[in-house]
Amino acid sequence: MKHTDDFAPEDLPAIEVLPPAARFSLRARPAQAEVLGRALGLTLPGRVGERTGEAGREAMCLGPDEWVILAPEEDGAAIVQALADAYGEAPHALADISDREIRFRVSGKGTLDLMAMGCPRDVSAIAPGRGARTVFDGATVVLWRDGEEDVRLDVWRSFAPHVRDLLETGRAELAAGL
Amino acid sequence: MSRFRVTGKGRVDHHAPVRFTFDGKSFFGLRGDTLASALLANGVHLVGRSFKYHRPRGIVTAGSEEPNALVGTSRGRGRFEPNTRATLQELRSGLVAESQNRLPSLKFDVGAINDALSPLFSAGFYYKTFMWPKGFWDKVYEPVIRAAAGLGRAPETTDPDRYASRHAHTDVLVIGAGPAGIAAALAAAKAGAKVVLAEETAEIGGALLSDPEVVIDGAKAWNWIAARAADLAESGVRVMTRTTAIGYYHQNMIGLAERLTDHLDSVPENAPRERLWRIRARHVVLAQGAIEKPLVFHGNDRPGVMLAGAAQTYLHRFGVRVGDSAAVVTSHDSAWHAAFDLQDAGTGIAVIVDTRTDVREDLVAEAERRGIRLRLGHTATGTDGRLRVSALRINPLRDGSVGNGTKVFCDCVLMCGGWTPSLHLFSHTKGTLKWDAENTAFLPDRKSEAVEIAGAGRGLWGYGAALDDGAKAGALAAEALGLSAAAPTHDVRQDRPGTGTAHEELPTDHDRGHTRAFVDFQNDVTAKDIRLAVREGMRSIEHVKRYTTTGMATDQGKLSNINGLLIASNALGKEPPKVGLTTFRPPYTPTTFGTFAGYHRGAHFEVTRKTPIDSWAAENGAVWEPVGQWRRARYFPQGSEDMDDAVARECRAVREGVGLFDASTLGKIEVTGPDAAEFMNRMYTNPWTKLAPGKLRYGVLLGEDGFIRDDGVIGRISDHRFHVTTTTGGAARVLNMMEDYLQTEWPDLDVWLTSTTEQWAVAALNGPKARTVLDGLVEGLDISNEAFPMMSVADCTVAGIPARLFRLSFTGELGYEINVPARHGRALWEALMEAGKAHGITPYGTETMHVLRAEKGFIIVGQDTDGTVTPDDAGLDWAIGKAKPDFVGKRSLARPDLVAQGRRQLVGLLTQDGKVRLDEGAQIVDDPNQPTPMKMIGHVTSSYHSATLGRSIAMAVIENGRARMGETVHVPTGKGVEAAVIASAVFYDPEGGRAKL
Repeated sequence: MKHTDDFAPEDLPAIEVLPPAARFSLRARPAQAEVLGRALGLTLPGRVGERTGEAGREAMCLGPDEWVILAPEEDGAAIVQALADAYGEAPHALADISDREIRFRVSGKGTLDLMAMGCPRDVSAIAPGRGARTVFDGATVVLWRDGEEDVRLDVWRSFAPHVRDLLETGRAELAAGL
Repeated sequence: MSRFRVTGKGRVDHHAPVRFTFDGKSFFGLRGDTLASALLANGVHLVGRSFKYHRPRGIVTAGSEEPNALVGTSRGRGRFEPNTRATLQELRSGLVAESQNRLPSLKFDVGAINDALSPLFSAGFYYKTFMWPKGFWDKVYEPVIRAAAGLGRAPETTDPDRYASRHAHTDVLVIGAGPAGIAAALAAAKAGAKVVLAEETAEIGGALLSDPEVVIDGAKAWNWIAARAADLAESGVRVMTRTTAIGYYHQNMIGLAERLTDHLDSVPENAPRERLWRIRARHVVLAQGAIEKPLVFHGNDRPGVMLAGAAQTYLHRFGVRVGDSAAVVTSHDSAWHAAFDLQDAGTGIAVIVDTRTDVREDLVAEAERRGIRLRLGHTATGTDGRLRVSALRINPLRDGSVGNGTKVFCDCVLMCGGWTPSLHLFSHTKGTLKWDAENTAFLPDRKSEAVEIAGAGRGLWGYGAALDDGAKAGALAAEALGLSAAAPTHDVRQDRPGTGTAHEELPTDHDRGHTRAFVDFQNDVTAKDIRLAVREGMRSIEHVKRYTTTGMATDQGKLSNINGLLIASNALGKEPPKVGLTTFRPPYTPTTFGTFAGYHRGAHFEVTRKTPIDSWAAENGAVWEPVGQWRRARYFPQGSEDMDDAVARECRAVREGVGLFDASTLGKIEVTGPDAAEFMNRMYTNPWTKLAPGKLRYGVLLGEDGFIRDDGVIGRISDHRFHVTTTTGGAARVLNMMEDYLQTEWPDLDVWLTSTTEQWAVAALNGPKARTVLDGLVEGLDISNEAFPMMSVADCTVAGIPARLFRLSFTGELGYEINVPARHGRALWEALMEAGKAHGITPYGTETMHVLRAEKGFIIVGQDTDGTVTPDDAGLDWAIGKAKPDFVGKRSLARPDLVAQGRRQLVGLLTQDGKVRLDEGAQIVDDPNQPTPMKMIGHVTSSYHSATLGRSIAMAVIENGRARMGETVHVPTGKGVEAAVIASAVFYDPEGGRAKL
């Protein structure tokens, strides 16, 4: 089998593993979203799939009472402190999940085709700038659609090699042109 | 060039010869041929031997419904496929094909003896012939039948090809790209819908490809197709050729198998052979057309006898005449057109036999103008020839009786018994059918999905009708999506509308008890077999089908079902709908296993979850054990050690020095919020209110039924935060159960759950020297026994890594579980190994862990419990917070059967001979000499050799076990019956002092 790097890279999606970042699961009643958003320095999105971002911090709403927060690694401690300070006013659960997932970025021509090999959702119907918790080849993933052919996938660490394997297989399939 | 190839005709490239072999003989076909058309072009009709009687068989159809022309095809080593349909397989350079079910050769087959013995193999012969003598079934009959059964030889090597899968979503999916499908796709696309058009063969056009003289809106058929292909592209319709819709599932999910490389001379690197599409469509249009029915008469299976429509397709689509002299026998108008077209191409028409006396005047006039001999009101009663038909016997029908037969010499017989609307996919949706008595066909009735059925698939005949109906269906589909759509009508000239009548077995002057009139070619079922089934008491077509096997071959009775039904209903004297139609099931056509497996093969077959420490274990010779989706190190053999040796060494190391274990797979859940303690009180049996932050407690989780579901050590990190651990296999289940209760029963609680299983890597350090090893690595925490006693938890730094340190013991020794963020797991492990080197630190695996915990009598949920064990049964009564008002399962623990005497209780078991290790799962009896069936009083749940104790130990559940300490019970082993004494399950350090050092 050829290594995927042998194919013309400009016509194929690029698959990267993103460097670690601070990541938190935030859960709270929707009524507390405003206070917690203020503590985080952004507006927590109110509808599932919506995203907001401010100064390198990003939030996606995954459920009526659930958000995932992404931030530069060095912001992690400050976020923990800010939310601890807000706890009395707005009780919530903040769990550090920075190490729970591996993050992939898949970008470039063919990205949507590659997603369609493992994801039963219509990724093209998730507008750029939105996201979804869905599955890829049986593994739960949080999918961030950043552009037309530009997505990030957060995958639980132990599922990441499986996901990566299909991404590489799929890339080779796209290279074969059939 | 073969004389059967018609220059200038067909969609094949007459300048592009393609070489292939059939049964080792080299042939040439043309680019664009199917294997079947290429063989016919070379005058080859005989392509196989039939399944049961080994009768010589030829090509019958030109499509995927083919029952006879099933051949083995190969593309070299490992790439052999049995039962390839020659009518669908496109010719490629170097294709190797072979006939099946013959020995030693296709022309001389010893299995044909079955044909002479056919009276022995009548319907239901399995149930009758092989009943006697009784003992012969296992030793003689079944092995012989198995050896003879099956068609084609199974591949013997691993399939080296790749297979792919893809999901897709569309507004409208149109299945079938004949005139109706094309019109439907265009009507929907022009209304603005996103459309996919799927076509089974290599190009769109359907029946129009076989009827080039038809003129649509001023354009000849093929020009019309070309123009519409451009239209489709321009309208953004995704046309998928070589793609068979194989299954129609709930909510408009359609499975389609796309054949990507079997038609290519050479395969691009990494290209998948086939791809399974799962398309979710908002609306579906089924435009699958109709399948021509054979006529049922004596000798209708002889090579050279084929469907008239197939002969027309071979002529127009492939430029192949199927013979020099054709006898046509029909009950439908369509075969007349086929006869005329063949005559135009130079095939003599020996006769047109029509069972009807009253045939359309224009057809009769045209035949007479052409000088074709006509025999209206006639029947066919036999064929001559051995490996190829040489004559057709025909008889006049007068006043319901059959006159004298005459022979018409020919080298092919073109038959047509009318057309069956193709309802397979509609049938998958459980839509209902209605019987159309006039056309003797089932038609779609009530729909259960968002679907339209168009064209010949709902019994319409003629291109004009099909086109207009297709456009209407496409418009309806678009309108159902809220679009405004138009359904254009079409002006069709030279159309070929037609009607016909349907027959059961054709009238004959032979004794119908001796005719070989085939209904199901693939399974070798005759009309006589079906009548026999009815005589023997079968009343429903479902029973007739199973008794005779009609319609049970891989073609699912595409040609035979309606004929079989008519014969059965006639024999029963009932209307066909009263006899019923068998249910079609996916897949529509035989589909490779590879297509269904897709990417899930080899190392990618299933997710293999690995811990952050897995790579170290791999480098250090771990032997693996699958635990759920995880792979875990079972033990680390050194040198020539076997498992017993390695486990004994690892156990000794933990008991005497220090061992290191990867516990990362343990499930972890963070329970956080002001109501966290209340939530824990309600979920777990134990009380949590008084557990101080920084302390641990062993928790037991029950189901509503009061039986143990899971267990684990739980740490209180702060007033509002618990760190829950679960079993490895139970992690997802426990989280779902908790979330379920939280959302449905207690939505008022302010508490939230987060899975942190994979946030943490966990190294378990166990043994009397554990603290010594750990001490130098810990910062920010005093881990002395006084400051950090057994069952404590604290955050600190270990080897420079931020850590959450647990002091607990699942081995009975002084133990710590060090949790660090997963990315640091291997670094932590290596630091511990380095620090422990001077103390002989020994990595150990799950097998050693199991032995160590069994020596202490600690249960493993799912091994020592089986979903019927209560806390009291397991000796865990102490873990129940009896003062708590409620917890999941509390009510059930008071049930009479759960408090009754005589329940099986977990105890230890010591064999009288300490060298004997009992089998896990072995049943236990009091008296081994009691008469059978013996009374079983329990079973062994865990059993190991304990190096520490120098003997075997076991855990078991035994009725009233705790009250029977010291009594002897008996357990069967592979070699006999072993006596064992009931003992406490805590075999080692019963005071528990070693963990508190």
